[in-house]
Amino acid sequence: MQIGAQRAGSVSPIATVAGSLFMAGETATTAAIRAARGLGLGMLALPGLERENAQLRQRNQTLTQENARLHELAAAYAAESAVRPVVDLYHGVEARVIGFPPENESRAVTIDKGSRAGIRRDDGVLGASGVIGRVAAAGPFSSTIILATDYTSRIPAIVRDGRWWGIARGNLSSVIVEFIPQDAPLRVGDVVVTGEGRSFHSGVPIGTITAIERGDATLYQTAVLRTSVDFGALDRVVVDTGGSH
Amino acid sequence: MGRTKPHVAPFVGPQWYVAAAWLAAAIVAQATIVHYLAFRGAVPSLVLVVVVWYAIRVDARRAAIYGLAAGICEDALSAQTGAAWMISTGLVAVVASLLSRGFFADSLPLAAAVTAVATLLRSLLFWIVMALGGYPAGLGAMHFHAALAQAALNVAVIVAAMLVARRFESARE
Repeated sequence: MQIGAQRAGSVSPIATVAGSLFMAGETATTAAIRAARGLGLGMLALPGLERENAQLRQRNQTLTQENARLHELAAAYAAESAVRPVVDLYHGVEARVIGFPPENESRAVTIDKGSRAGIRRDDGVLGASGVIGRVAAAGPFSSTIILATDYTSRIPAIVRDGRWWGIARGNLSSVIVEFIPQDAPLRVGDVVVTGEGRSFHSGVPIGTITAIERGDATLYQTAVLRTSVDFGALDRVVVDTGGSH
Repeated sequence: MGRTKPHVAPFVGPQWYVAAAWLAAAIVAQATIVHYLAFRGAVPSLVLVVVVWYAIRVDARRAAIYGLAAGICEDALSAQTGAAWMISTGLVAVVASLLSRGFFADSLPLAAAVTAVATLLRSLLFWIVMALGGYPAGLGAMHFHAALAQAALNVAVIVAAMLVARRFESARE
């Protein structure tokens, strides 16, 4: 069969079967050799890989910590940059919020600066975007701030476009401006700012009018404000000490 | 023949420094972290929970001193409360101590009931004192709702704390 196939110029069935069997054996043997070689090389390199892995893990941990620290620094820088113009404008004292009233009975915060930094009772407290409140009590190293939303807070206010006066009073969740003359043509969206007083200079934003309450038999109208400051995310504040420090 | 002193049972309540440490931890947590757990305008009062925990284990005099100390600390950290927390917490501590007579101090239903009553009573006393001090009127309903929410939160806190404490004690034994 072999000779006949050789003469005919074809491959004999025996050669075909043998070749196929050998090919399978060759393939398996080659794969086994490659696997063994890879395993051997891997085992040889294992201590080095383990070392490299440990180094990479440590480096990853270091980079993660550094990343978190840089994010914190960036956030702190952004917060500080936001209040820096207010500090420069009013020559105020920058402070950080460190505490809250224990039982949430009032809308207030505690800051980390007190009378030693020149802060006094009734000083105005500002944020990057407007009024936060006023100092209710100043200790040597900390002060308590009554927020503008507190029920006992009263701030002289002016509707910026029109110059109508009112009193901005805290309503726990928002601020309302009372005692605005009935003939004042208020509009939703008008900005309300502080009037000149003991605690604040004039023109500091308190909020924007979102609703107006007019009664037919009343002398005054009342405006409900959306405050210009997010009271749920207070961090850095500026105490307007009137340049006394 | 000399006069003999009447027999006085030894004090078996918590040691003063343990109670002081718990109170200090509760006050710090109350002024910093608990604010973020506000529910319907109320926050759980860890300070009151600690005061009740102590008051139901000791006599009325010790409870009053402890409650007054806790109240003074809260007044120091609050704005414009004067002595309202001191008065209300001190009185509530005495009431909690008297209420717990005749019961085991580690009874869960007793602790929960006394905590609920103490929360409501303290809130009532606090706002009465604040009103006498000139706090604007007209928020009674809101304060009542906040007190109810706080009572529920405080009961949850004291029950959870007692269950955890029991688990630790049983593990130790």
